[in-house]
Amino acid sequence: MRPLTFRRLFIQCFILAVILFVVVVVAMKFGAVPVSLYALGRDVLRFLLGQTSQISTDYGLILWNIRLPRILLAIIVGASLSVAGTSFQALLRNPLADPYVLGVSSGASVGAILALIATPYLALPPAVSALLTPMGAFLGAAATITAVYFLGRREGQIDSTTLLLGGVITASFLNAIIMFLLSTVTSGNTRGMAFWLMGDLSTSYQKSVFWFLGIGFFVATGAIYTTATDLNLLLAGEKEAMHLGVDVPRVRLVVYIAASFLTGLAVSVSGSIAYVGLIVPHIMRLIFGSDHRTLLPTAALGGAIALVFADTLARTVVAPTELAVGAVTAVVGAPLFIYLLRRGAS
Amino acid sequence: MTQVSIPRFQSAVCVTVAAMLCAAPPLFAQSASSATPAATPLFREVTDEAGRTVRIPQPVHRIVSLAPSLTETVYALGLQDRLVGDTDYCDYPPDAKTKTKVGGAINPSLEQIAALHPDLVLMAKSLNRLETVYSLDNLGISAYAVDPHTVDGIISSSKKLADVLGAPEAGDLIAADLQRRLADLHHRIGALPPKRVLFAVWTEPLISIGRDTFIADALRRAGGVSIVDSSQDWPQVNLEEVARLQPDYLVFAASHAESVAPQLDALARLPGWRIIDAVRDRRYAVISEAVNRPAPRIVEAIEDLAKQLHPEAFAEKPEAGKERPGKEIPPPPHQSFLHLPLDIHSSSPDAVSRGGCACAR
Amino acid sequence: MSSSALARNAGDPARSSSDARLSVEQVSYAYSANPSQAPLFTLEATSFQAKPGEIVAILGPNASGKSTLLKLISGALAPLSGRILLDGFVTHSLTPRTRAQRIAVVQQESRLLFPARAWEFVLQGRHAHSRTLRFESEDDVIIAKNALAQVGAADLSDRWMDQISGGEKQRVILARALAQQPLLLLLDEPTLHLDIAAQVDLLHSLRRLAAENRYTVVVVTHELNLAAEYADQVVLMQRGRCLRVGPPAAIYQRELLEQVFQTPLTVALGSSGRPHVTVVSER
Repeated sequence: MRPLTFRRLFIQCFILAVILFVVVVVAMKFGAVPVSLYALGRDVLRFLLGQTSQISTDYGLILWNIRLPRILLAIIVGASLSVAGTSFQALLRNPLADPYVLGVSSGASVGAILALIATPYLALPPAVSALLTPMGAFLGAAATITAVYFLGRREGQIDSTTLLLGGVITASFLNAIIMFLLSTVTSGNTRGMAFWLMGDLSTSYQKSVFWFLGIGFFVATGAIYTTATDLNLLLAGEKEAMHLGVDVPRVRLVVYIAASFLTGLAVSVSGSIAYVGLIVPHIMRLIFGSDHRTLLPTAALGGAIALVFADTLARTVVAPTELAVGAVTAVVGAPLFIYLLRRGAS
Repeated sequence: MTQVSIPRFQSAVCVTVAAMLCAAPPLFAQSASSATPAATPLFREVTDEAGRTVRIPQPVHRIVSLAPSLTETVYALGLQDRLVGDTDYCDYPPDAKTKTKVGGAINPSLEQIAALHPDLVLMAKSLNRLETVYSLDNLGISAYAVDPHTVDGIISSSKKLADVLGAPEAGDLIAADLQRRLADLHHRIGALPPKRVLFAVWTEPLISIGRDTFIADALRRAGGVSIVDSSQDWPQVNLEEVARLQPDYLVFAASHAESVAPQLDALARLPGWRIIDAVRDRRYAVISEAVNRPAPRIVEAIEDLAKQLHPEAFAEKPEAGKERPGKEIPPPPHQSFLHLPLDIHSSSPDAVSRGGCACAR
Repeated sequence: MSSSALARNAGDPARSSSDARLSVEQVSYAYSANPSQAPLFTLEATSFQAKPGEIVAILGPNASGKSTLLKLISGALAPLSGRILLDGFVTHSLTPRTRAQRIAVVQQESRLLFPARAWEFVLQGRHAHSRTLRFESEDDVIIAKNALAQVGAADLSDRWMDQISGGEKQRVILARALAQQPLLLLLDEPTLHLDIAAQVDLLHSLRRLAAENRYTVVVVTHELNLAAEYADQVVLMQRGRCLRVGPPAAIYQRELLEQVFQTPLTVALGSSGRPHVTVVSER
């Protein structure tokens, strides 16, 4: 009998953090523009010592203003999607659940499309209009979260099966709306929508966006983490969880809102990147077990690693052309998922 | 019941790591502002065709083009020496292929663009993504967008672009030349009734062009009128509707004119297409793909099409004498009459009339 | 101890209210699919009491309200009228966590979504006693180990839950309930899927555990002879009504049982001194 201790958890997370660090260094080195490790190291040193003005202007813009923010975006989005996926799999008691199954990403896409259509008609200062698409996407996500919540209630509380049904139907409905909008709207802004829908990390955002993402991620993940043991028990059955002391309605509500919020965050800035939220939790479960006290942090780190890696591939494989990172995760993720399925069945 | 208290050291480690992660955004954001190179003292503010106010460093030495049409325009203006990067699809003139590539039009590499240190990035509103504009803004790289919807718009757009790039005389020259040729064309065919055409962008499914596109306007200038009247840019057209409207000609844009005939043969065997007279009788015109790009070269395609639709207006010899600077194939207009299907149908005497002659009907 | 006046039970005048750990007082319930419709099912006012160390069997045919009564006692349902007291606390007003510290419900089956080992499973029982974001302490581990030992499943500790037999699983599930260190142990038809040996084994363990750890055990069953053999008190239910409460000798009267179970029976005194019921078959 080896129950989980804080020390073991810390060591597991530390190992993953080290792997993440290595992947980040690799991602910083590779790109459409080659950067030598020496130059990279030298600039990092200068950066840490505060000599930012001496950073080589050749690399400075690329490394610090383009590549590093993009890597940071991949970390936050990957971590958010993985935590959301883990949470939904526990909440819905369904190993096939991913962050998008309840329609959040479809709602975000509708919001983004509407924002793109509306942009020419709103006279906004450029800094604000750049935020219009992510804000529209986030509002679309929030509206969907609310709608599905009310659809998913039974006798005043969230019921897993009803929630799943309501979410899937809402997602289908919203997807139909997306198809309709894309095929009939004449605004040229929606041309790039197909790219966004596949999942794309190439947009460069202002730092206010990163603040929002970072704070939102930690708050939502923290809220979910407080229910980690409850989620362990929920997986044994709802009645049993209640009899073991879990306040099931409260836990369901907290997890639903926090996980949907994480999904909304991720989708607003990067479109719907496939498979990360579905597969990373399963892989972490295979390695570390199903205890959510370990699973949640390791899934977050694992998702960050996976997405930084996938994004580096997406922007280097056929450089300078960029693949949509969602295409890379799908190509890698689908066979991996089939492998996990077969392994689980054996 | 005793509980484990988390050791002090480990909680301190956690807090430190969390603090570092939270401190990351402002740190690098701070570096962003100080890492930009010393700004050129001279700036010029213009409003681009997307309605945005753009601050353009003066003079403009290094240009990156994110649209093939804009690459062509830069070459037409004679400013190709300043072009330091273009997209994977910029293939005309051939020299454009030798420029440093920055990726696709929808998905260019921001890193590659930044590595070229451009003074100005040229974008087409109908081709490039809004997100790319915002990203370039965020990085402090100036981006100028064009958005022509008519042939006249293309000409004035090129003129404005020349002005923005600091070479207004080149712009005037080009504009004058293009206007002259268009006027000449109008002189020849302006009085003739326009031919009703279907411009087929794609055949399965059938996609044509909307009335507000520059291609539709180009068709008009060439003495044709698109039977498709839609407000969408790329409407999907119902075959039955086409059969009801029965266009006089089909118009295709292709890089190799020979490839069209076998495709048309294949289409003619399909029941939905057979009922369209122009398909059955093989009445079609092929023009170069220049018609798809809102660049000066579109005028050549317009002239080409005009000759195929109204050959009688060009009674004098149209072939080798006409000057087409820098233009590749397609071949001179009347050769399209010779692109007949190589099956038994073509051996009949009236095969010639099927090639696109206006007297077929 | 509750000092309020408690209703005396119909069949047991000797019981002292101050000894009772569990006190079910005039508890009723009604269930209807629609608020506007007439109730589909009603449980009429029922009362009984139970002491520490006692096994109570809620006995009756199908749809007699046994499971509903158990759910009311466990706090899963709120009674329409009346109340349930456990050591003086009204069970339904407790939070799920405090309730789980006192009441343990033993399920028949356990559908685990992801595989777990037996010790992980048993450790779940400690959840009610641990605080948020705390890891299991050494005490928790010791308690879990003891729980497994008490049900004779210490050797199953490292086995995967989906790889052990039904009877073994039942013991691990019971161990989890014991790990909660409850005052009250509730079981709903625990013998349903077990063979006769496992059934006897289970009830024997329950009697031993109730005596050793001073649990109050309430078992819902329709097995007449098992209830007669092991229960200290029997609550006889029929169609939502509690007909009689008392020791097996008082409940196992031929006319009463025949009326409740709608089948000819004979009741005799078994070798252990407890009543024994035999079904009369038609020749």
